[in-house]
Amino acid sequence: MAINYVLLVSRQGKTRLAKWFTTLSPKEKTKIVKDVTQLVLARRAKMCNFLEYKDTKVIYRRYASLFFITGVDPSENELLILEVIHRYVEVLDRYFGNVCELDLIFNFQRAYFILDELLLAGEMQESSKKTVLRVITQMDAMEEEEAKEEKNK
Amino acid sequence: MAMRGLTVFIADIRNCRVRELEEKRINKEMANIRQKFKDGNLSGYDKKKYVCKLLYMYILGWDIDFGHMEAVNLISSTKYSEKQIGYLGITLLMHENSDLVRLVVNSIRKDLDDNNEIHNCLALHAIANIGGREMAESLAGDVHRLLVSPNSKSFVKKKAALTMLRLFRKHPDVIPAPDWAERITNIIDDYDLGVCLSVASLITALAQQYPESFMMAVPKAIMRLHKVIVERDFSADYVYYKIPIPWLQVKLLRLLQYFPPTEDPNMAEMLHNVLQTIINNSQETPRNVQHNNAQNAILFEAINLAIHLDCESDIVRQATNILARFILSKETNVRYLGLETMAHLAAVTDELDEIKKHEETIILSLRDKDISVRRRGLDLLYSMCDVSNAKTIVSELIRYLHIADYALREEMVLKIAIMTEKYATEHSWYVDVILQLISSAGDHVGEEVWYRVVQIVTNHENLQEYAAKMVLHYMSSPHCHENMLKVGGYILGEYGHLIANIPGASPIEQFNTLHARFGLCSLGTRALLLSTYIKFVNLFPEIKGAILAVFNQYRHVLDAELQQRACEYMAIATMPTDDLLQTVCEEMPQFPERESALLSRLNEKTNQTEDKRTWNIGGKDSNEKTPANLIAASREKNESTSVDDLVSGMNNTNISSSAGTKDEEGKPTANGSSNPASQTNAASKPGLAWKDQLAPGYEIWYNRLRDGADGVLYEDSILQIGVKSEYHGHLGRLAMYFGNKTHTQLNSFSVTVEAPEGLVIASSHTLATSIGPSTQIQQLYSLECQQIVTEVPLIRISYQAGSIQSIYLKLPVTLSRFIEPIQLSSADFFARWKQIGGSPREVQVVFKSSEKINLEKARSIIVSNRLGVCDNVDPKPGNFVATGVYNTSLSGKVGCLVRLEPNRETDMYRLTVRTTSDIVSKQLKELLQLALL
Repeated sequence: MAINYVLLVSRQGKTRLAKWFTTLSPKEKTKIVKDVTQLVLARRAKMCNFLEYKDTKVIYRRYASLFFITGVDPSENELLILEVIHRYVEVLDRYFGNVCELDLIFNFQRAYFILDELLLAGEMQESSKKTVLRVITQMDAMEEEEAKEEKNK
Repeated sequence: MAMRGLTVFIADIRNCRVRELEEKRINKEMANIRQKFKDGNLSGYDKKKYVCKLLYMYILGWDIDFGHMEAVNLISSTKYSEKQIGYLGITLLMHENSDLVRLVVNSIRKDLDDNNEIHNCLALHAIANIGGREMAESLAGDVHRLLVSPNSKSFVKKKAALTMLRLFRKHPDVIPAPDWAERITNIIDDYDLGVCLSVASLITALAQQYPESFMMAVPKAIMRLHKVIVERDFSADYVYYKIPIPWLQVKLLRLLQYFPPTEDPNMAEMLHNVLQTIINNSQETPRNVQHNNAQNAILFEAINLAIHLDCESDIVRQATNILARFILSKETNVRYLGLETMAHLAAVTDELDEIKKHEETIILSLRDKDISVRRRGLDLLYSMCDVSNAKTIVSELIRYLHIADYALREEMVLKIAIMTEKYATEHSWYVDVILQLISSAGDHVGEEVWYRVVQIVTNHENLQEYAAKMVLHYMSSPHCHENMLKVGGYILGEYGHLIANIPGASPIEQFNTLHARFGLCSLGTRALLLSTYIKFVNLFPEIKGAILAVFNQYRHVLDAELQQRACEYMAIATMPTDDLLQTVCEEMPQFPERESALLSRLNEKTNQTEDKRTWNIGGKDSNEKTPANLIAASREKNESTSVDDLVSGMNNTNISSSAGTKDEEGKPTANGSSNPASQTNAASKPGLAWKDQLAPGYEIWYNRLRDGADGVLYEDSILQIGVKSEYHGHLGRLAMYFGNKTHTQLNSFSVTVEAPEGLVIASSHTLATSIGPSTQIQQLYSLECQQIVTEVPLIRISYQAGSIQSIYLKLPVTLSRFIEPIQLSSADFFARWKQIGGSPREVQVVFKSSEKINLEKARSIIVSNRLGVCDNVDPKPGNFVATGVYNTSLSGKVGCLVRLEPNRETDMYRLTVRTTSDIVSKQLKELLQLALL
């Protein structure tokens, strides 16, 4: 019962973020990204958010031009994974203020840091939006302080 | 802080309209960065910037084969922002088996030990993301420390729990889970719901592997669920669209599915309340998608748990109605999950009637727009199939097979074949279906399917003629799949003679039908047909000529296998006598009954995931061998090792019974500390020998209470434990009081009682898991003495004070508690005394009292051991005679007679005990002697 990977893919099929919670060779990763992207982009609007890929389930949700895709064990609770995705989007939205694809392109490292606070080892680590944002702002504050020190030197 | 260089670079790349331009720009940048790294002397900021650029290229899908060292350097930076990028770099770029891991391990350990928790977190993330063997081996201990240390902050604990989970998944042998089980399980009680959630995930994984060690997670999970769902006790931060922490709810509901249903009635009741509340809550109309999803996620998990607990319960009946509504839902997700959960129910229940009512809807789901839903529909139809509906379902599936997705067909064929075999009531139906299957979906019919047909036809004589007729019919049609030819070739070769008299099925017609397609099929099939022909030579000598022509032709064919067959068959067929031919072509013997290859094929397909699914798709029988009773399985496994345990148990006897034997030696020694061996033993096998871990100095309190008095059983600076008891016949009641003497709350409080054989101890309610400052909680136990009990119960109290503290104590429930005093006249007494006779039912001991003999005191000791003192029985004044009846509910009553002869001059006692059971005599003697010393 776990998430194996999280992918952010644009409607054009460009990968914006790929986070792996299982060990795979680069070749296997490329294959999964390609296959799954293809499967998901081909789905129509009214279809359900779940599909099967090999021995795993793929659970995805579309937000504007971006697809948020997860690959999970078949025994995973599907609806709850959808809400993991939604919580991630909510935190991104709050952090960037009306998040758009460009934010995630130019601040890709932030997107990773936020995901790390939400998910660890493929499991929900913290579901409270407030707590996650507090940690991230704390990180930013530390960075800012270090940058200031740098300047003063 | 934005890095300008990075932003410009990203913008540049985005402006590249075609791939060639992008490649050009990338190559330029790579060359640039390579040069910068080579020159060295870069500031931390620059290093960070270049690593970021590399990472961006990596995400775009370019190969990055350098920059690892710079990322590693960044990790040991003192600046947080640089460290952070360094860690991101290694987690994205580094493979778990990379040589660089060794370099990183030390930096990571340093950050794990750092006083700055933020650094701890970065290090934990890195371990969780990379998680190689080397890391697991060298850092698992540190991760565990961060998880259980009372000084760890919540946000560190959460990460430590999940990091350990990741290490366990990758390298289960590195985590000594059973040893850590107790401390980890206790964290479920943590006040912080985030910590609780992470630990629940960890335990869910560990418990699948070590169900026995994590048994105690069951009551904890139930209580936590009850707290959140029924008592609605949670922090507002964790409410997700009106639902309190749905992730935790689902996790705990899932955890319970890996254990057998709890036997504790209080727990079962609590759990029932939880499930009922979830079902009731689901009636609420959701506000929006999120609320709806979270609510249903919990509902589906609760239904799965309810099915696991008892698939015929009232809760499951309510759930079935909800599911029936779901499979009609407009929302595709809900339809999908409704079908999936119904398939779970159908897979384990005997009661398929409720589900069958919806057969039509389910069959319609095969025509859903969405392949995901169609798959679930297929699974459900397969699970709900039985003798009564097999025909309908199979014919629907065959009809659907023509238009089904290619991806689904092979699985469908397999499932149809299995259902047909399993539920066929007439053999002809079986043959019809399978042949239809082969003719219409030949390409998707695996070898197993037609092998199986041959086996079944061979083993059922009444099927053979019909099968032969049908294959011939199918092979005569213009389109005939090669698989049909294989089945046909085999069956006609064996049973063709059964239909030879039917018009249109004469030997030569059979032969011509087969041979018409001979040239078109693969070599394997041709080889099979050649064998059929030699059988024909035996069955139908009249067509021998035509067949010999074929053999003759194939004697010169290029393929070695075909050539060999043709030559050999030719030789056999042209021998002067038919003896050899007849022997070779004798009818095939029956196949031994074996597991259908189809089923093993299907199971192979489903059983490949890491998670131990609690059920398989399919009817009830496919689940009987693999119920969620991992416990049972692991018990079986343990049985093989029990011999070792027995041996070590025997070695242990002198040690573990030292608590009792010290009485015989007459020298009370400080128990436990006297034997170092016993202590090491107990430490290496936790929970095995509670006796060896008894709290130091426990005897002082214990001895005071041994005679049945009420009072303090244990006391230290934190806890005071008191006992009150009353007994009547074979029954007793014992109240225990646990007082927290400190000014802070005691958490993770738990009490476990280990009853000796023959004594049943039940608690009245579930004990709270925490005791408030300066507060006392109470637990009531009811006791029943079923058989003669020689040991006293042991109790373990554990709580968290910094780390987990455990106190092991003896409970003063001695054998004499279940004695009822009686009075006998002199005549009666001696009559019985004689009746019982001497050894072994008589036990006698002479010993010196440690103090001046006091007759009053001796008398009270006898009375407190619940024996009735019979005055004027013993002719010598000063001697005591006492009687009582020891009560058990299953092994009857035991009469007890005692004679105590004090010698006041020498301060010696002679104690004689005669009872109707030698065990009781011995025990009672020891109890009295100990008290009199």
